Amino acid sequence: MAVALAALATAAAGCGLGAGPKAADTQLLVSRDFGAEPIVQDDQPQTGGSDTVMRLLQRNAPKVATRFGGGFVQSIDGVSGGRRDGRPVDWFFYVNGIQADTGATSVKVHQGDRVWWDFHDWSATDDVPAVVGSFPEPFLHGVDGRRLPTRVECADPKSAACSTVADKLVELGLPAARGGVGNSFVEDTLRIVVGPWRAVRGDATIKLLEKGPATSGVFARPSADGRHIALLDAGGKVTRTLGPGTGLIAATRVKDAKDTVSDPVWIVSGTDAAGVDAAASALDEGALAGHFAIAVSGGRPVGLPDRTS
Amino acid sequence: MRYRRRASPLHAARAAAGGAWCSALAAAALAAEHPVVLVGLAAIVLAGAAGAGVLREVGRVAAWMAPWAVVIAVVNMLVVRQGFTILARLGEVPPFGQVDLTLEALVYGSLFGLRLLVVASAFALFTVAVDPDDLLRVLRRASVRSALAATLATRLVPVLAADARRVEEARRCRADHGGEGAAARVAVLRAVAGNALDRALDVAATLEVRGYGTARRGSAGGGRPWSRHDRAFAASAAAIVALTIASRVAPIAGFETYPELHAVAGGTPAAVALVLAYAVVALLPLADRRGIGP
Repeated sequence: MAVALAALATAAAGCGLGAGPKAADTQLLVSRDFGAEPIVQDDQPQTGGSDTVMRLLQRNAPKVATRFGGGFVQSIDGVSGGRRDGRPVDWFFYVNGIQADTGATSVKVHQGDRVWWDFHDWSATDDVPAVVGSFPEPFLHGVDGRRLPTRVECADPKSAACSTVADKLVELGLPAARGGVGNSFVEDTLRIVVGPWRAVRGDATIKLLEKGPATSGVFARPSADGRHIALLDAGGKVTRTLGPGTGLIAATRVKDAKDTVSDPVWIVSGTDAAGVDAAASALDEGALAGHFAIAVSGGRPVGLPDRTS
Repeated sequence: MRYRRRASPLHAARAAAGGAWCSALAAAALAAEHPVVLVGLAAIVLAGAAGAGVLREVGRVAAWMAPWAVVIAVVNMLVVRQGFTILARLGEVPPFGQVDLTLEALVYGSLFGLRLLVVASAFALFTVAVDPDDLLRVLRRASVRSALAATLATRLVPVLAADARRVEEARRCRADHGGEGAAARVAVLRAVAGNALDRALDVAATLEVRGYGTARRGSAGGGRPWSRHDRAFAASAAAIVALTIASRVAPIAGFETYPELHAVAGGTPAAVALVLAYAVVALLPLADRRGIGP
């Protein structure tokens, strides 16, 4: 009896002999320049039991070179970290749109996970805590193999944009709760905040966007009055400023005093109601795929960081 | 373990040639990747030791290193996360995250341990089969003072060890057995340390009297002519180095451990061929048994 209990406890803790079960339905994207140029895009990558993010990459990407004892990726298919045109560039990875706190050899791949490796300039920030390009993740399969409840928080719960976002989640089979901004119990909850910028900027996490990418990891900076959204390039410089009718979909996370990082908060916002409606309409896999964040201008998604020179 | 002149080709060769031969074997082990090559080099070093009549001494070192090789393999498996073939899962271990024991990490650690064993064995062979005095004479041409310091150290350490044995025996011969425990050991240590200081003063005075402070470099061309054993071991060392460089430059007999065990550049057949080549060029000088007497 004791042996059986011990074996059960060991198995529950993830211990055991052999590789264990494979993670099914995973996806792998390897790209450069914030998703602009895919190198590997595989909806059915080869997987093995107990795969880590590093093993998944090594199984499916060409010529992976590592450093620091194999914990970090130096190059993939000859694209190597270091400096490019005087700017620092390296490989970063996201699981279900969330930047990991540990090395790729320590992060286990779970069923349905979308793993994204991107090679980019980190002169503006080396910390992009969350991205939107893996939608409908992290809502479908969650964080670290654990699906979390989703809550849609709207500045106006009766608005069309709020209904659009909630309906899109329902279509994905996600029973999302709806409520006012900042009124929910936020621990272990994925939040999608919907509303014009001036109405949602009171939320402490969302307000980080006004401080720029070094703080929020989002390459767009809404003005405090919410009338304009400045789009930034990879170096953090403003490329253009968009006015009325502009939407924004982005994600970020906040650190507390103990350096604990919150679960991602998604922002579906805009300069005005029309902008929010445009952003809500763009909340789908096709528009978001492969982007760190998007602005919506003239009904068309613009990937961020902005590549317009 | 110390040098003692024996009737063997390696002992008959001058220190420069014998030392180069042992060092070339160690270098070959450091450069080798394929497990077959490493195992082959281990066998060659042991065969060389047998040919030189010092298998027992070198075998003792190899046996002492074997557990360390196992420790290296186990530690590597515990700390390295690379490799596709998972032997066991230890689950989430904060703050390391997911910890898996992989075959590749075990093999990499084992190869590292085996490499260390071969290098240690090669230098054990160096220690017991290469005349240290002859070697120091070679070194004296490069640096008189360093050679002198090394000579004194190599001569004084065995003398002090013999002193310690004598003092220890004297202590035990006393009626009260000279006491027990740490106090008795400290008494022996104090006597030996005192002797060492006395000897150091004697040596310094002797060196001064003999004019070592104005020592000149030894002549490069002086000394005995090169014997057939000198030439054979020097040529063998050069051939081993050439094979090692060729195997790395070509490359042949490569072996990748991460992320999956994978023989490259000719694989196992090339590795076997390389081992055979190493064996021929390394062991051939040991076959010549003429003129090997002490």
